[in-house]
Amino acid sequence: MSFRRFLIKRTAIAALLTLIAVSIIFATLRMLPADPFSGLVASGALTPEQVAEVRAMYGLDEPIYVQYVKYIQNLFTFNFGVSLTQQRPVSEIITPALLNTLVLLLPALVVTAIISSLAGMYAGWNRGSWFEQSSIVATTVFRSVPNFVTGIFLLIIFSYGLGWLPAFGMRSPLANPSGYLDTYLSWNFLKHYTLPFTVTVLYYSGDFLMLARNSVVERMGSEFLMLHRAKGLSEMEQLGRAGRNSLLPLVTYFALRTGMLFQGVVTLEVVFAWPGIGRALVQAILNQDYPTVQAAVFIMAVAVIVMNLVADVAYAKLDPTVDAGDV
Amino acid sequence: MSLLEVNNLKITYQTAEEDVHAVNDVSFSIGEQDNYGLVGESGCGKSTIAKTILGLLDDNGEVEAGSVRFKDRDLVDLSEKEWQDVRWEEIAYIPQSAMDSLDPVMTVGSQIRQAIRKHRDDSKSKADERVAEVFEIVGLDPARTSDYPHEFSGGMRQRVTIAMALALDPDLIIADEPTTGLDVIVQDKIINKLLEIQDEVDSSMLLITHDVGVVAETCDEVSVLYGGKVMEQGATYDVFKHPTNPYTMGLQNSFPEVDEFDKQAISIPGSLPELTEEPTGCVFRNRCPFSTEECADGHPPLIANGGQMSACYHHDEAEDMREAATDAETWGIDVAEDRETSGDTGDVILETTDLEKWFKQTQSIMDSFRGAEPDYVKAVNGVDLTVREGEILGVAGESGCGKSTLGEVIAALQPRTGGDIQIDGTSVDDLLAESTKKFRSQVQFIFQDPFDSLNPRQRVKDAVAEPLKIQGHDKETIDRRVRETISDVGLNPPEKYLDRRPAQLSGGERQRVAIAQALVLEPKLLICDEPASMLDVSLKANILNILREMADKRDIGIVYISHDLASLTQIANRLAVMYLGEVIEIGKTREVVRNSKHPYAASLLAASPKTDPSIDRQRVLLPGEPPNPVNLPEGCNFAPRCPKASEECRKADPDRSAFKDGNHEAACYLPVEDVEDELLSSYARQERPEIQSGEEETIEQLGEEA
Repeated sequence: MSFRRFLIKRTAIAALLTLIAVSIIFATLRMLPADPFSGLVASGALTPEQVAEVRAMYGLDEPIYVQYVKYIQNLFTFNFGVSLTQQRPVSEIITPALLNTLVLLLPALVVTAIISSLAGMYAGWNRGSWFEQSSIVATTVFRSVPNFVTGIFLLIIFSYGLGWLPAFGMRSPLANPSGYLDTYLSWNFLKHYTLPFTVTVLYYSGDFLMLARNSVVERMGSEFLMLHRAKGLSEMEQLGRAGRNSLLPLVTYFALRTGMLFQGVVTLEVVFAWPGIGRALVQAILNQDYPTVQAAVFIMAVAVIVMNLVADVAYAKLDPTVDAGDV
Repeated sequence: MSLLEVNNLKITYQTAEEDVHAVNDVSFSIGEQDNYGLVGESGCGKSTIAKTILGLLDDNGEVEAGSVRFKDRDLVDLSEKEWQDVRWEEIAYIPQSAMDSLDPVMTVGSQIRQAIRKHRDDSKSKADERVAEVFEIVGLDPARTSDYPHEFSGGMRQRVTIAMALALDPDLIIADEPTTGLDVIVQDKIINKLLEIQDEVDSSMLLITHDVGVVAETCDEVSVLYGGKVMEQGATYDVFKHPTNPYTMGLQNSFPEVDEFDKQAISIPGSLPELTEEPTGCVFRNRCPFSTEECADGHPPLIANGGQMSACYHHDEAEDMREAATDAETWGIDVAEDRETSGDTGDVILETTDLEKWFKQTQSIMDSFRGAEPDYVKAVNGVDLTVREGEILGVAGESGCGKSTLGEVIAALQPRTGGDIQIDGTSVDDLLAESTKKFRSQVQFIFQDPFDSLNPRQRVKDAVAEPLKIQGHDKETIDRRVRETISDVGLNPPEKYLDRRPAQLSGGERQRVAIAQALVLEPKLLICDEPASMLDVSLKANILNILREMADKRDIGIVYISHDLASLTQIANRLAVMYLGEVIEIGKTREVVRNSKHPYAASLLAASPKTDPSIDRQRVLLPGEPPNPVNLPEGCNFAPRCPKASEECRKADPDRSAFKDGNHEAACYLPVEDVEDELLSSYARQERPEIQSGEEETIEQLGEEA
């Protein structure tokens, strides 16, 4: 099968999966026992008639299938509607939050993927060395301790103890930047950025380190490395070949992790008071803010599905023995 | 002056419990442009020596004493940095398993280029030129240098590694079992290629193998190794024409020739020494039928004897020992009476008619949606066989011909696609419908690998008793029959073995336990899939003898599946040769071997190397490789590779009875009369052009169609 056909097929499947995912979100939210406005009646703020009016305004009085069709139409045209609780377009709420999350997590993930994978390969190659053992212990500790605990520790040391770095938020309360460039490229931002970034790097380091180490260990002793050695390749060149042959699980894991970044890391965002998507989502769920939740979940689903697709394509590109048709 | 001199080399491996003395005081030397052979069974230290010469010894291995001098320079003390310059530039290496030896994510061309540019400051294009050159030398299409290893077949991958070894014109090439794991016809072509190259380039070669035939046909000089010691050393011709050491005799005689029916293959009793300490007596004395008390007084020195050197205290009796060593009884094997006379066979126990097993190929979603007819791999395609009581039917063929699938389908381990199987006159379906237990008590299976097929936690008695328990026999019967069977398969006295676990048994003993497990139910039909192929050669004959004896004594019908023609001709009453899912020739073993009619069967049988160095054999250079079983050619499957094929052969597929002489049948319109004239010399004639076009074409063309 040609690569193009493979791509078309996979994309079609991805689209279908997205549709299923958003339908499930729709159904789940509608199955909740209460709706966002029933609370208003109970508290006596509005009469039932007024509530009915508000419901009609948001289109919630229409038959469920009409709501569904409109919902699908809007989603696929990236029209997410208006928040029920904040009276603002959903995109205005979600876009900055999502951006804040990605600015924090994406560089952290890339950095940890590269550094930890290389360290893992080196550890695997030098099996039994102190480097291997200590790196495994250290990263396992960071992986198994909840990231908010690590975060709090770092806060205690660097913010409250040494006073080097600010303790919360994305910028100091007085700063009022205009535009993205001003927001993300300032000294003030960098100071707020350092701690949550470090925690994320440490948190994910264990996964990549172990994956890389294990696949290099698996390759070691294989006949083709022996032949490379017999050809006179140096130690590092041999490790390079072993690493190249260990890339598959790493790339797959990286792609899947990236897909999940769009959900943010709620605990981390809470500890550092980072205005990210995770926090926004929790808030929206608590308020039963249908449009916001739907939009957020839609973006997450799409991200996971798209990154899955990327993983598949990378697989086919990286490993010549994988025929595009097999994936 | 010699190129490589190994002097008094001693190597030990450190393990958690004890040190293993893998190589003890080995010396030999290789001259310029020489082919030198190291031959011996697994554990004799031959690969350890090869790795030491390349500086690739595992971390727990240590050179305790001795030197490896290469061009007047001691290699043992080189630093890793110095090693990197010696490797490939001066000593190249052809690895054992070409299947796993190439980097799967690198094109074959760039792997060879990497070797060149590591040592030379050549530009990329200059290196590429050299890659194309060596590709041509080994008979590969230079246009395929940018393909990945998985796009080549096993034989072609081995050619790639040979090309790689030639890339820098090294002074010495070490080939570690270069043909083990290849089918016999492919092996013959690779050996031919190695010898051809040897004539053209001026490298020396160190060939390491367990196969006496391969060494006898390729090497000028040889060392026979056992237990880390040189047993015999000298010119290959002398060593294998007139062996003077009992071990050489035993090893050579355990390789029966395909067409020697009257000679019983021998096996050497006992198992390899542990080597946990340096040998205090002759390493072979425990297994040697000629050993005397004198043999315990230290390992005998290598003493010149005739043209060669031999390490044996009894070297002056070599003549008599040689005579005695051809007799299986010397080695403690009970010789069964001549099987032609005892080979009375009884009623038909197995009959298959038009048996088929097709594997469906995966289809794209669209194709299956459209209801397109899927492609099938016809692993077994219309096979008719009969096996009688007390008869052993041998099934021979190259890998991928469907012989293992056939065995599994007959044993109902896999469902069949079509045709019928009758056991003792009853259809398998009826037997299975009635009771699976009953069917299993009649048909048993012995697997290839005795290391995997026994449960490591089960004691021998429990393993053998298990089938009886499943069948619901009472405790006394179970006890009695377990003992009987264990003793029947030659594990005597049974008490010694009953409480052992598989880890405490040698390979040969494990396979006997596996046989006992199959025999304890007293089946009528036994299917053996390569039961001896994982065992060292010196142990094979034992397993064959047990099976032969069981067939005669218990009147069991046996289907013996193997790629090893020599053991098939030793054991089988009748022989069936398979090619691409079909039986293309069948008949009495002698008939089929001496008078093969189908060109493929004839080629296959002519391709085994001979252990007698004085025989000059015409090599089988059969062009191409078996076609992809998905898109079989119209007409005879073998026609595209057959030098005799006519128009008729390409149009219609011949029936198995196309040639018929009594029970001897062959699916060929133009049966072979003279193998040498009609096939071998015509292969040899077309070998040159075939290299460039034939082989590659079949593969590529089929690849595209698939």
